[in-house]
Amino acid sequence: RLRIFRPNFFMLAVRPGVPQPEDTVQFRVSMEMTKLDIRNYLERIYNVPVAAVRTRIQYGANNKRNHRNQRVKKPDYKVAYVQLGQGQTFQFPNLFPEKEQDSETRSFDDFRDKYMEKEKQKQEGDPRRGGVPDWFGL
Amino acid sequence: MAALGARRLLRPGRRWFSETVPAAPSPPAGPLYPPVVASVTAKSKAAKSRRLQRFNQRVHAAATVEEKLRLYGKLQRPKYAVYPQTFALNADRWYRSFTKTVLVPGMPPRAAAAKAPVAAAGTTPEAGGAPEPGAEAPGAAEAPEAAKAPEPAAGAAAYLDMGELRSIVCDALLQESFYQKKKRPFLYRDQDHTPGPFLTQLVSTLAAFLSGRNPLLAASSLDLNPEVNYYWHHGEEVVVHGHRKGRVDPVRFQIDDNPHLQIRVPKQLPEVVPLESDLGDVPVIDHKPSKLPLFKRQYENKVFIGSKVADPCCYGHTQFHLLPDKLKRERFIRERLEDQIEVVYRSNGIASLFAWTAAQAMYQGFWSEADVTRPFVSQAVVTDGKYFAFFCYQLNTLALTAETIKNNPRKNICWGTDSKPLYDVVEDGNVKGFNDEVLLQLVRFLLNRPTEL
Repeated sequence: RLRIFRPNFFMLAVRPGVPQPEDTVQFRVSMEMTKLDIRNYLERIYNVPVAAVRTRIQYGANNKRNHRNQRVKKPDYKVAYVQLGQGQTFQFPNLFPEKEQDSETRSFDDFRDKYMEKEKQKQEGDPRRGGVPDWFGL
Repeated sequence: MAALGARRLLRPGRRWFSETVPAAPSPPAGPLYPPVVASVTAKSKAAKSRRLQRFNQRVHAAATVEEKLRLYGKLQRPKYAVYPQTFALNADRWYRSFTKTVLVPGMPPRAAAAKAPVAAAGTTPEAGGAPEPGAEAPGAAEAPEAAKAPEPAAGAAAYLDMGELRSIVCDALLQESFYQKKKRPFLYRDQDHTPGPFLTQLVSTLAAFLSGRNPLLAASSLDLNPEVNYYWHHGEEVVVHGHRKGRVDPVRFQIDDNPHLQIRVPKQLPEVVPLESDLGDVPVIDHKPSKLPLFKRQYENKVFIGSKVADPCCYGHTQFHLLPDKLKRERFIRERLEDQIEVVYRSNGIASLFAWTAAQAMYQGFWSEADVTRPFVSQAVVTDGKYFAFFCYQLNTLALTAETIKNNPRKNICWGTDSKPLYDVVEDGNVKGFNDEVLLQLVRFLLNRPTEL
């Protein structure tokens, strides 16, 4: 059996694009990792009980073109779906929560919005003219 | 000439200067214009519902059951292949949500009362005084309370000799595992080597022994490695990919199961609880079935119980399932997934029995638009050679499609036990640690029969 000490693999936990069951965590892993590697990595290094691992390889598209009309490839990556053992669940956290705004910033935001509205009104011109430009006249 | 001209002017049918009073037009027999309904071929929801109604009417109007089954499974589309014996985690929860089944631990109440007085050769008669919930008493008129007295009361049916049954079981076990000289099993073929033939031998001998007591068994048919298939729709989803992208489709499932043994009988087993009873909750899972993991394939939509429609033994009695090598206990213990061992038994019991009972109901002409009027009951024994788990399933409803499930309060019910060992170990021609309860439960299963018989 191949034993790897101090592995150079990295596992990136990502937010699933489609809703996953509560006990499933989604990772992007290196292309060379196997299901056994992922299981041992999580169990030995992070002490996370792993019940099942399923992997797939996502092909990165090669359709975009750069300024020299050469095809630009997006890199391929491997996705691992790890089901946790012992009834544990995982929910990907919200990394950008709405911050509480104090009254100063709120009033400043209101003032700024009103000012931008007034500027826009000035730009548009008189609504009674029905969209006709100012320079048009008898 | 003038007469000709006059005749030309006087066209036929015109009453011109005539004295006859024009008769009032007779009222039309039916409505003047055809009914205003949605189109059949348009790309609209009303047209789709009209097409569905026409399909339902076609199936309702089918003359024979074979024609109904043919029309029901005519359109082939990608569907989820549901495997009863699966290693997927928590599969029994998903399967219960697919089949709208409630899982009740333990055996149904009628099995708790002693069905036939058993000779107390070391076994205590169970619940001798338990009130019968109105279900069947053994055919020959004797009270189950007579189990208190181990000696047989004067009755036509003799008592069950536990010793003889035990000897039958031990004979089969020893013959397969000890006396018979077999080569080493092939890789990953352990189950076909010893427990498979043992189970076949056990069931056929026990069935033959008990057929004197249970006339239903005498008229039954024992299938070896039969095939059971069922196809159904449950829920709706939007097609994500392909030329049909964006359309709302029912989620299609198909179970293809091969039980090790199956007993089919000509008469229906009696219902355990009334049709509309509610014994628990069905788990609701919002995620797509592919997260289980479950995979889609397109192939023939088959509905089959083990024999064709014309067979007289069209109702199911008991199924026997053998777990494959992939799902043996040692593997789960090695991977520290002890709680999944029971899940394997339960998912096998629920899925296989749902498929069998629903296929039996379809053979009688019921389907999702024409729901069952009487419950269909079947039993199953799931084993891996040593550990036995018993399941009893009552099918109360077939209506699982998106429209029919809305106003349907009925749920299917599955009673199931945990797996218990039949024996501890076989050494030197002796079977150590024989468990009588398991044998008793097995015998009760085989003796189950409708009341009139």
